[in-house]
Amino acid sequence: MQTQSSPPVGHDALAAVAAVDLVKVYGAGDTAVRALDGVTVGFERARFTAIMGPSGSGKSTLMHCLAGLDTATSGQVLLGGADLTKQSDKVLTKVRRERIGFVFQSFNLLPQLTALRNITLPLDLAGRRPDAELLDRLVTTLGLAGRLGHLPSELSGGQQQRVALARALVSRPEVLFADEPTGNLDSRSGAEVLGLLRDSARNLGQTIVMVTHDPGAAAYADRVVLLADGRLAGEIYQPDITSVTDALQKLAAGR
Amino acid sequence: MNPILRTQLAGVARRPARMLLTGLAVLVASFVVYATVLAQQITQRSIVDGLSGTPEAVDLVIRQGSIDDRHLAAINAIPGVSRTSAQTEIGAQLGGQYLNISGDPGSGPLALVSVTEGRYPSAAGEIAVTPRTVQLLGLKVGSTASVDPGTGKKVALRVVGVVKPPVDFGNDAYAPASTVLALTVDHFVQGIYVDVDAGTDAGPVRDRIEALFAGAKDEDRPEVVTGADVRLAEARDAASQIDQVFAVVGMFVGIAVAAAGLIAASTFRIVFAQRMRQLALLRAIGAGRSATFRALATEGALTGLATGAVGVAVGQGAGFAVPALLRGIGWNVLNPGIPVLWAVGTILLAVVISVVAVLAPAVSAARVAPLEALRTAAGTGARTGIGVPRWIAGLLPLAAALALAGYVYTNLPGLDERDYDPQMMLLAVVASGALAFAALIALGPVLVRPVLAVTGWPLRRLGPVGRLAVGGVGGSARRAAAVSVVVALGVTLVAGVLVGGASIRALGDRELAAAAPTDFEMTGGDGSTLPEEIVTRAKASGELTRVTPYRRLTSAKIAQFEGTAVTDLDVRALPRLRDLDVRSGSVDELKPGTAVVAGYLAEMAGLRLGDTVRVENQGRTVSLQVVAVLGDDAPLHAGLLVVPADLTAMGAGGGWSGMLADAARDGASARTEALRAMRAAAGGKTEFSVVVLADQRDALDAELATLLGIALGLIGLTVLIAVVGVGATTALSVVERVRESGLLRAIGMSRAGLRTMLTLESALYGVIGAVLGLLLGVPYAWLALRATGANAPLAVPVWQLAGAFLILVVLTALAGVLPARRAARVSPVNALGTD
Ligand SMILES: Nc1ncnc2c1ncn2[C@@H]1O[C@H](COP(=O)(O)OP(=O)(O)O)[C@@H](O)[C@H]1O
Ligand SMILES: [Mg+2]
Repeated sequence: MQTQSSPPVGHDALAAVAAVDLVKVYGAGDTAVRALDGVTVGFERARFTAIMGPSGSGKSTLMHCLAGLDTATSGQVLLGGADLTKQSDKVLTKVRRERIGFVFQSFNLLPQLTALRNITLPLDLAGRRPDAELLDRLVTTLGLAGRLGHLPSELSGGQQQRVALARALVSRPEVLFADEPTGNLDSRSGAEVLGLLRDSARNLGQTIVMVTHDPGAAAYADRVVLLADGRLAGEIYQPDITSVTDALQKLAAGR
Repeated sequence: MNPILRTQLAGVARRPARMLLTGLAVLVASFVVYATVLAQQITQRSIVDGLSGTPEAVDLVIRQGSIDDRHLAAINAIPGVSRTSAQTEIGAQLGGQYLNISGDPGSGPLALVSVTEGRYPSAAGEIAVTPRTVQLLGLKVGSTASVDPGTGKKVALRVVGVVKPPVDFGNDAYAPASTVLALTVDHFVQGIYVDVDAGTDAGPVRDRIEALFAGAKDEDRPEVVTGADVRLAEARDAASQIDQVFAVVGMFVGIAVAAAGLIAASTFRIVFAQRMRQLALLRAIGAGRSATFRALATEGALTGLATGAVGVAVGQGAGFAVPALLRGIGWNVLNPGIPVLWAVGTILLAVVISVVAVLAPAVSAARVAPLEALRTAAGTGARTGIGVPRWIAGLLPLAAALALAGYVYTNLPGLDERDYDPQMMLLAVVASGALAFAALIALGPVLVRPVLAVTGWPLRRLGPVGRLAVGGVGGSARRAAAVSVVVALGVTLVAGVLVGGASIRALGDRELAAAAPTDFEMTGGDGSTLPEEIVTRAKASGELTRVTPYRRLTSAKIAQFEGTAVTDLDVRALPRLRDLDVRSGSVDELKPGTAVVAGYLAEMAGLRLGDTVRVENQGRTVSLQVVAVLGDDAPLHAGLLVVPADLTAMGAGGGWSGMLADAARDGASARTEALRAMRAAAGGKTEFSVVVLADQRDALDAELATLLGIALGLIGLTVLIAVVGVGATTALSVVERVRESGLLRAIGMSRAGLRTMLTLESALYGVIGAVLGLLLGVPYAWLALRATGANAPLAVPVWQLAGAFLILVVLTALAGVLPARRAARVSPVNALGTD
């Protein structure tokens, strides 16, 4: 069933996005840092995957490369089977616009645009009209109904992050990337956002890749991928807080 | 050292370029100030060196008092006198024209002219003329001019050459002084240039010359001065004109400096806002408000010091480079000195501007709540509203500006109002304008959005990039206002000059319509008429068009005024007469039994539209109804325009008094051809003189063009600073908005899209400024124009204004291009960073 260019591992044709022997080196010479040191990993379609690891282990770098935000030194990033690493900025821009969604730790809404305009911004940039039904459902699910006309400065952190989530989902991306999406939120708002992420994977079939250092957040995911020193260091299916905490402690001890 | 200041300075040391960017406007302003000082020095040195009218070889000048040819001979006989040149000049009648004949040696160190064609006159009865005289008076080499040198007798002078004079008025002839003196009765000269033998002391020669005049009466005794003194005085005179010019320049430089102050204030505000978190942190860990303020103000002063010094250094560099370049292309330009006092003064000025500019931003930055350190949003200028104090600071000057403008408006002079003092009114207009600007500075943030709503409309239709640009500018209304106000200042001045220029031109056209309705006029001498065949020949010539002969009576008595001119010139035949200033009635109504009255005559004789005017001439009386009253003069300086039948009824004969004609085509060469054709029509007879009326128009055009050019050039300084301000603001806001840029890139905006967005934003600063500037500039230009009391029509040069608008918007857009390119290179990863 497998073609030769597919990753040689069990998560196979179902992978929405995958890294193959990915290497990323920052700087050169003595000060060079191997942030990613040959990572091969796939992320299944319609699943919520968390990337975890000690600080500096390369989590963010991996996500940047997977999302086409940064270019890898060597190796491949396969999005829907096509390699992103050799693409021009123009193609990557289009990929980001049409096939990928982002949720950032620091919300990153444009202060001068209303919540609604912030949500539809990626579609505006692509020159597409929002799917009214989807928009409606997102707004209702995310509890933003009464807030669409507000500016970001008039919203709470949790509300801002939900706007950012709506923005990421409204263009029906193949993969939604989230970098510490709850890092700036209180625990209740954080739990809300994480629940929403899990629901979009389960109910909407949304592929989600999330970077976090919080075992509590990782427990919402279907699977946890562990990184250490730029390398894959194991994975946990159906994680819970205890299993994740244990795994992390083992990683820290092994260093 | 103040620990806050140390933190600030550490930041500056890490990014010195940003400090220069903050003070870029101040840098440009100090460059402009210092460069102006150097330009004045260069001009003065170069002119004092080169532009004295007295030749270098002149050692002594004898002038004023009564000098004649016997004195000249006596001086020539004094030992040590190498050569002399008598300065003598007479006016002669040539047909109906005036010819100026000056004495000049024609060659040698004392000569002012040099031969370019033929030879210099040597025998009596020979003259040389200037190139324009050949053209205008038809005095070619080989022709003979029959002139009356004021003696009543005609003398024939042969033209043997063409010379290049210091200035060419088009009626100048030169000959050796002896020839000129021979034409006069009394043989007086105006002055004598004396060149003393090389190596001889001029002192004794001077004494002997003075001895020659010892016996003369006090008021007849001429003064003997050294050539050096005369040259110095002439140079001083030229230099004082330069000083006056530079005084005006200085005023514009002052406006530019004020503009730089505004820009600097705005950039300080942006820079401090960017550091709000850091400042809040310092406050949170215990930095006092006043210590924070002092640190920020000191930073402002240091910025002024650094940018002022760089500006002066660049100015000095340019001061040496530009003359060198000009010398390279053959101009005689000297280097400036190094005026240390001015340099120090300029740097001090930069410090003062910066400190003044930094005060308000430093006060508000020092007021930052320590809590800000804990907030996440770090945006600046996002507040769009303004507080009550600022409303007051805006509305008060606005009310004062309106009151002053209203006062001027209600007191505008009527037509030909007497005892009107324009100076007070103009001052009031300027004061009102300055107050309006103060109001604009305060109220700017609330004006940005409405202006943006209108002007941003087409951009918003352009798609998301345009919408984001409009949103970005509207979202930081304070910043947009601060920059746009300076652009508005430049545009107001430009619009004022353009409207003023166009209106003065319209006024000039109106007045010239009467004085110069066509390119050429040919008349016979007094009382003589033009033979019909001249008119026929002119009409047949392909070089001429609208050949319009007319008759003119000069002996009519209208009301109590004798010797008033009446003409039957066909007003409808000449398109330029459409511009005639018609005060009441219509020139088109002119038919038998009616007359058009010149404004001056109507006023003196108390004639109004519909009145009957009685004309008496040689015992005949004709009564005509007034169908139009003109503004001032009527064409051909007539008092009355009538139809031919009525002129005949007044006793005018059948012969033409003169003839008007236009060149068939435009351009200088076509006009020269046409002039030749006019002369050819006259059949070579010099008593039929041709006047080139077009010269008056050209002179006005050239003068206006020069004035406009200079004014616009000076305003260019303010515009330059405004554009620099837009560039610096865009650059700084790009730094501040890396996160935003990264986010836009991360969610799929292309590099080109981001570049376009930021460039559009800076263009929008220009648009807002230009709109505000035009809204202020045009009405104020109109008010100022009316306040001068000159009865000028308001001419709004729409295309020029549109052009100025476009150029400014393009300039401000260009100012944003570089920062926008930098921003577009931002990696989308920046959006994910946490601080
Ligand atoms: N822009 C960069 N330049 C140089 N080194 C970097 C850069 N970004 C990250 N690194 C280094 O790469 C390694 C992995 O970083 P990162 O992916 O951010 O780790 P994590 O997100 O797991 O904390 C770290 O050692 C970090 O110092
Ligand atoms: Mg990280």
